[in-house]
Order: sequence, then structure tokens, then C-alpha cells
Amino acid sequence: MELLLSDILWAAGMGLLGAVLFAAIGLVSGTDETTTIAPLTLLVVLLGVPPAGVFTFFLASAVAKHMTHAVPTALLGIPGDTMAIPLMQQAGVLRNLGVPHIALRKMVSGAIIAAFVSVPLAVLFAVLLAPFGPAITKAAPWIFVAAAVIIAYFSAGRWASVVALFPFVLVIVALQGLTAKFGVKLSISYFLGIAIGPLVADLFSVLSPVDRKRIARDKVRSFALAPDVKSWGGYFPNPFKVLDASQLRWTLGTAAISSATFVFSPVAMTVLLGEVVGSRVRHVYHRMTTVLTARNGVTESTYIAEALIPLIAFGLPLSPVAAGPAAPLFNAPPRFTVDAATGQVNNLHNLMTSWEFLGYGLLAVVLAALVSYPFAMNYARSAAALVARRLSHEAIIATFSGLILVIGVWEGGLMGLLVILAIGLVGGLLYRTLGFNTGVQFMGYYTAVLTVPALTKLLGV
Amino acid sequence: MKTGQLIEVWGDTVDSVHLGWAMAIGCAISLGAFLLANHILAGLVAAPEMARAYSMLVGLAGCLVSGAVCARLFPPKREVIDRAADPAWRETLMAELRSEPGGFGRLADLPAPTVAELKEMGLYDLFAAEEAAQDAGRDAGGRKAALHGVPSPSPDALRSEPAARGARA
Repeated sequence: MELLLSDILWAAGMGLLGAVLFAAIGLVSGTDETTTIAPLTLLVVLLGVPPAGVFTFFLASAVAKHMTHAVPTALLGIPGDTMAIPLMQQAGVLRNLGVPHIALRKMVSGAIIAAFVSVPLAVLFAVLLAPFGPAITKAAPWIFVAAAVIIAYFSAGRWASVVALFPFVLVIVALQGLTAKFGVKLSISYFLGIAIGPLVADLFSVLSPVDRKRIARDKVRSFALAPDVKSWGGYFPNPFKVLDASQLRWTLGTAAISSATFVFSPVAMTVLLGEVVGSRVRHVYHRMTTVLTARNGVTESTYIAEALIPLIAFGLPLSPVAAGPAAPLFNAPPRFTVDAATGQVNNLHNLMTSWEFLGYGLLAVVLAALVSYPFAMNYARSAAALVARRLSHEAIIATFSGLILVIGVWEGGLMGLLVILAIGLVGGLLYRTLGFNTGVQFMGYYTAVLTVPALTKLLGV
Repeated sequence: MKTGQLIEVWGDTVDSVHLGWAMAIGCAISLGAFLLANHILAGLVAAPEMARAYSMLVGLAGCLVSGAVCARLFPPKREVIDRAADPAWRETLMAELRSEPGGFGRLADLPAPTVAELKEMGLYDLFAAEEAAQDAGRDAGGRKAALHGVPSPSPDALRSEPAARGARA
């Protein structure tokens, strides 16, 4: 009993910390989920926080961030993070109509409702899939390579991404061989390299006289910050009143669907389900607001499901979210490990029951909702103005350069740093030129660590 | 401080000289904090794993400190203007909405709460006027096409789309 109470206190404390931290980070554009949530979750794991605290921290962070990312997206027309990019077009139209606060409120309300729906559904789907767990764990190397090919085909690069998997996996295998010679084994450095790739590639472009012409600008970017209109009393507006009946139905429906489809890219799911909703709404204004509501709901539900289902059912990171931002929940040596050779896992999958995942999952959503939702509803405009006027992009890049250095040196000294740079440059350029996106690259990493050893064993080489 | 060239890096505009300094500061403070903590904690904390985890915490705090320092030193290269949407924009916007693949739709199809929402924001009349203009245009265009036996080109196709912006995904 005392143990349970202490677990709950840890979960509540860590969840609140994650929610507050990431409600603030969500306001800053360019703070991609993998580069922010993954290192901090890793830190929480390594500091020895109990499993319930680790899990609640991760989930509350993701849910809080996907509510406040709507603030820069709606008010300034800058995507809050990667998941906010599919929201840009509709948010832009409503901003030009002079009603960005409507866009914001619809998005945040969609998010909170979808998050609450998604946790129990994701746990349910995981429990239904769990009986296949042992079989899937056994076949993991082959399932990962199949998932990598499917995710690659559905990326913007299509067949180019599928074929690019081969050289990309080869580069990772080669780098692992190289670092092994020095007795260094890396994992988070690869994730960070992949996630930060677009920045690394852009920094190389700055240095190159050939590519610098492409990125040169003659004037600063101009943003119009629209006025805010508050049309409710009190501090905590009712999300069910912000949405109309059909928007509520679409949010619930798309949240339910995206809670089941856990192997696809979360950005692709957000785009796709938004298109489905958009094709069913006839009036253009109603279409814009409904698509925004449903899409931001999907940014929550798809994240929750993609982290929860593989974690509960298999313990293997079998989705782009699980392989990327949620990676430290699966693999954070020496505490959490996935053994490539035997498929043996030792992580939150073994340390928590389905009921605990459900309970702490709902706790995380409640905490994120209590922090992020009223904040985004009440202080959106002043927060967006503060970030846009005070926080230079140079400062953001300085922070992430420091992050690359600290994580790289922490994990593998100079070797870690070189791996982040190499993977970042290769991955970032492939993303920019071929549309070989980060989700595919994460799966490529798992193909290298799980499939390649199994393949060499099978071939007896 | 000396300024360089404006360039777009990672989705926003920066000054090339400021960027160089910011990265130098970011790397120095973060790595400095991490290495210093690693050196000090190695002697203080018994378990080496924990000492390294705490050093990482200090290093990440260093990242935030360097971000704050750079935010003080280098102003944003953005122009943020407080303003409501320009009425002149609405015309171009309506043109864009007319060319939406899903169609413009009719106010009569809308549920009551949405109609109330539009009225509250003063947008109802705008959409109603656009709908009326479209109906009138369609009648006239239809007659003309029947007279000449050729479909008339839509004027919308010639207008630009103001909100179309490049997104990376």
C-alpha cells in the first residue's frame, strides 16, 4: 500500500513537471518532439525515477506540448513543432479571416478530448494484441524491416525512401562497427542525430558557398500577431461548448481510428485523417474549423497510441513514435534494454501492468490538461508575443548545439559527437532532398540493430 | 555587435555572424558545465552511473543557460506587428476559399452553433455576400457559356493563393 502511494506521488510529481516544462517548450517553434522529449525522458530514466514516474513524465510532456504547440501555429503562423505542420494551412486561413483565437480554441479543445479518448482505447488495443506478443517478439527482426519498408513507402520520398533504406542502414552498421573497435556502444546518439538532422544539414549549408545562396534572405520575416478575443467567463472553458456536435463526433471518430493505427507515421496519420474529415464537410469555414479540431486531436491520439500499444503489448519500439521520441521508455542502457540477439526485453513493458498503464496514462492526461489547456486558452496571445519578440532563433540554435554536444560526449565522448554529426548530415540531407523523413530513419536504425544481426546469423556469415 | 548576412536556418531567419557567436557560446557553456560537473561529481557520488546522469542534468541546464545568454545578446530577426486582419486581405482570401478542392459550400448546410459562431465574429455577412455573388456569377456564366457554346474560364484560376506556404513535411 505504501509502495503504491509512493508510486502515485512520484507519478503525480513527474507528470506535473513534464506538463509544466513542455507546456512552455510547446510555445517555441522548432522544438521538435524527439529532440526535446527524448533526452529529458532519458535523463528521468537514468536518474532512477520509478517506472510510474517515468511513464507519466513522458506522456504528460507529449500531451501538454501538443496543446500549446497550437499557440504559435494559430497566432503567428509558425508551426510549433513537427506535428503542427499539417495544421498550418487551415490555421493560416482563419488567421487571415481575423479569427485566429477560434482556430486556437478548436485545436486545443480537440486535443484535450482526443487525449482522454485515446488512453483507454490504446490500452484496450494493446491488451487485444498482447497474446500475439511472444510470436511478434520472436519475429521482431523481420517485422521491423517490413515496418521500415512500409513506413518508407508512405513517406514523401516513396520508392526513393525505400531504396535509400539500404545505404542508410549500411552507414549505421558501419558506424557501429567503427565505434565497437574503440569499445563504445551508442544508441541515443543515433536518435539525436536523426532528429536534429535538418539543423545539422542547414548548418553545413551555411558554411558552403554553393548552398548559401539558396538560404540567403534580404529581409527579416514579418509576422502579424492577431488580437485575442476572450468570450467565456472563468478560467477553465468547457471544451464541449467550444465544439459543435459534428466537430465532437469527428474528433472522437478520428481519435478512435488513430488509436488503433500505431505503425504509421504520426504526421501522415494527421494529414490523412484531416483529408477524410475535410472531404465530408461542405461549407468551407466549417471545413476549416472541423479539420483543425480533428487534426490536432489526432496529433494527441496518434502519439499516445504509438507510444502505448508497442510498450504494453510487445515491449519493442514498433512504431515511429516508439522508435523516436518514446525510445528511452524502451531502450535506455543500462536501466532499460532490448536485446537484439534474443529479442529479450527489460523495460516499462515488464515493470508495469496494463491497469497501471491505464491509470497513470489517464493521470498524465489529467495533469497535462490542468496545466496546458487553461494556459493555452487564457494566455496564448501574451505568451506568443513574448516568445516571438524576445526569443531569437540564434538562442534556440545555441541551445540545441549545446544539447548535441552534451548528449554526444555524455554517451560516447568524441565518438558519440562524430556519430551525431555524421548521421545528422546524412539523414538531414536525405530528408531535405528525397523526403526520407525522420520516422523512416528511426526504423532504419532498428533495422540496423535488430534485422542485420539476425540476417547475418541466418546466412551463417 | 557586428552583423553579417541574413540567412534562413532550420525554419527561421538568423544573422550569420550572430549565429556563429551563438553556437560558440552554446557549445562552450553547455560542454563546460557538463565536463566540470563530471569532474567534480566523479569524486563526490559513489555510483559512477549516477554521477554521469547528474552531470548530464547539469549539462542540459547549461544548454538552457546558454540559450538565455544568447537570447539576451542577440535580438530576434523577426518583425511582429500587432494588427487585426486587413480587410483588403479578405478579398484575396475569399478567392482562395472559392478554389478550395472541397468547394465553398452553402450557409444553409451549417449547423446552428456554427451560424451563431460566424455571426458572433461578424463573418456571417461576408460569407453570405460571397455566396450571393457566386450564385449571380454562376447564372451569368452559365448563360454566356450556353450562348457561345464554350465554357468560360474561371477568374479564380488567375489569382494567387496568399496562404500557400512551403512546409517541410
